[in-house]
Amino acid sequence: MRKLSFFIFLVYAIGFSQNKQVLYDFAGLPQTLLLNPGAEVENKFHFGMPMFSQLSAQGGFTGFSTYDIFADNGIDINDKIKAAVNNYGTAEFFAFNQQLEVLNGGFRLPNNDFLSFGYYEDVDFLAKIPRDIVDLFYEGNTIINRRYSIDKLAARVEMLGVLHLGLSKKMNEKWNLGARAKIYSSVFNASTKSNSGSFYTEEGTQNIYRQHLDNINFLMQTSGVFFRNGEEIDASYVKSKLLFGGNLGFGIDLGFTHHYSKQWTITGSILDLGFVNNSKNVESFLYKGDYEVEGVQLNFDRNNPQNYWSDLKADFDNSILSDTLYKSFISFRPVKLNGSASYSFGQKQDECRYLIDQGFYLNKIGLQWFSTVGAVHSYMAATLFYEHRFSKHFQTKLTYTANPFSFTNIGLGLSANIGVVNLYFAADNLLGLNNIYNAKSASFQLGLNFIFKDKN
Amino acid sequence: MKITKFTAAAIIILFFQGCTKDVDFNQFDDAKIHSTYITTLIYLNLTASDFLDDFNREIAVTTDLVQAPISNDSEPYLEKVEFTVITENTFSRNFKLSITFYDVFNAPIYVLQPIINVPENSSKLTTIIEIPKQDIPSIYDTKYFGFTILLSPSTNGSTISINDISTFNLKSSAKLFFNYRKI
Repeated sequence: MRKLSFFIFLVYAIGFSQNKQVLYDFAGLPQTLLLNPGAEVENKFHFGMPMFSQLSAQGGFTGFSTYDIFADNGIDINDKIKAAVNNYGTAEFFAFNQQLEVLNGGFRLPNNDFLSFGYYEDVDFLAKIPRDIVDLFYEGNTIINRRYSIDKLAARVEMLGVLHLGLSKKMNEKWNLGARAKIYSSVFNASTKSNSGSFYTEEGTQNIYRQHLDNINFLMQTSGVFFRNGEEIDASYVKSKLLFGGNLGFGIDLGFTHHYSKQWTITGSILDLGFVNNSKNVESFLYKGDYEVEGVQLNFDRNNPQNYWSDLKADFDNSILSDTLYKSFISFRPVKLNGSASYSFGQKQDECRYLIDQGFYLNKIGLQWFSTVGAVHSYMAATLFYEHRFSKHFQTKLTYTANPFSFTNIGLGLSANIGVVNLYFAADNLLGLNNIYNAKSASFQLGLNFIFKDKN
Repeated sequence: MKITKFTAAAIIILFFQGCTKDVDFNQFDDAKIHSTYITTLIYLNLTASDFLDDFNREIAVTTDLVQAPISNDSEPYLEKVEFTVITENTFSRNFKLSITFYDVFNAPIYVLQPIINVPENSSKLTTIIEIPKQDIPSIYDTKYFGFTILLSPSTNGSTISINDISTFNLKSSAKLFFNYRKI
């Protein structure tokens, strides 16, 4: 029980989906290139500490928080569960994403373009749970004519390794463009989306009740979940699948930085425009059809005894198509869109009020926009930010984000450079730190880089 | 410099005030989710011929069996079962309906109580039968449900004729009461 409780705590405490609003366009960190391949890079070359250049975890649940259920406030837990169910929306979603950057590097080419590359492991989970499912579990089905629908039921989970190679190119003083190619190697993938159908009970004519499965259309596609050839799942299996032994796919990222004026900058990116071709260990489950039943009519026919259960099952099987498919399928990565508009100000002056560095600003304020578009679920978030450079060794970024999880999400990023060593940390939902159990979402990214700048 | 100190102080406060308010995960042991599901069951529309043999003689005891492939996954959570039986009888005869649970060896292991009495010429009668918590395990040992209709002897010596247009109708449903104590 304690283990389960701790797991529930972790589920709430870690995470939320893939918006890295603090890290986006922050302090010229190498990792910003993964969020916008068109970000400007001032480095000569860089490489990340292997396995520690970026560790990130994000997750959240829009329904209720750990504190809503487990607060030690003298209220019976069953009353708190009831209140949480009553406040549950039409559909709430749970999201979790974890990334571990194994390798990250980049260097400036002779033509001044910047080439970056790396490999990271990515686990992504998202489940959208309709209220009808919660009510059916929590209350049962005693309300006659109430339809319990699966129309909003959707989920995806996947684990993959991503090898990437990107180029950031300065076109002129105003434009910097970038692109990144990615090869995906999927360990497992499961998704269900575009489901429809409902279950309901009405008053019957032959019997007290007539029960319906109405217009059921459910498909769950999986790869790397079910095994027919006796493969064993262990660390070496996962490693081999992550390193291009899994289901392979391809994707691209595109991005830009545009200096609209000397102090105004606009950036944008589209990430993971790609797919995975799922052809190994594929097993998909399809259920489709309509079914209604009033019960079993007993005939008491001595001369013709019936196997009622077999007849009932046959009737169900004839009405609801149930099929297991072993056909390859394409799964699309959830596409992420980032955008920002920022205004830089406050130039550094010496004691005689002479500018120390023309065109170099200490402060930046702006607006960021994030959206993820996927077949399973889409949502967007907006962020206001303030970035300040205390010195060439230390930069901070403060963010305020409104997203489906919270309208009071304050984030903070810190980047410190000591020589060639760069250490950064970014986290959001800092107000939730006051009581982390009450936070519906949280995220952090941290890492260690070695950044070498041009002496000129 | 002032800004630097202020920001550093703000960061320190933010991080060091990071704490948790009291939560008690042991409350989870007290969590109970009571869910009730209704399901339709058997129904009967019996006529005179169902109570007569090939020689049009009355059959005093009529039986039918329904296979019951019940998974025991739900056994830890099922607290009570409540059957609702609605009968309607236009025969001038009394009936009794008994429902017996049989195990895999065809041995009777449980009889629903009370046995349902259906008086002659009775309009809609509703009978509620409950399987209490202590008898729930019987359900999961059941392989067949046996339905037996006992045709009571007439008080005036009359018998059911093949031309009798009377009917004996029965409708039923079950309410399953679950308590998900261990989610």
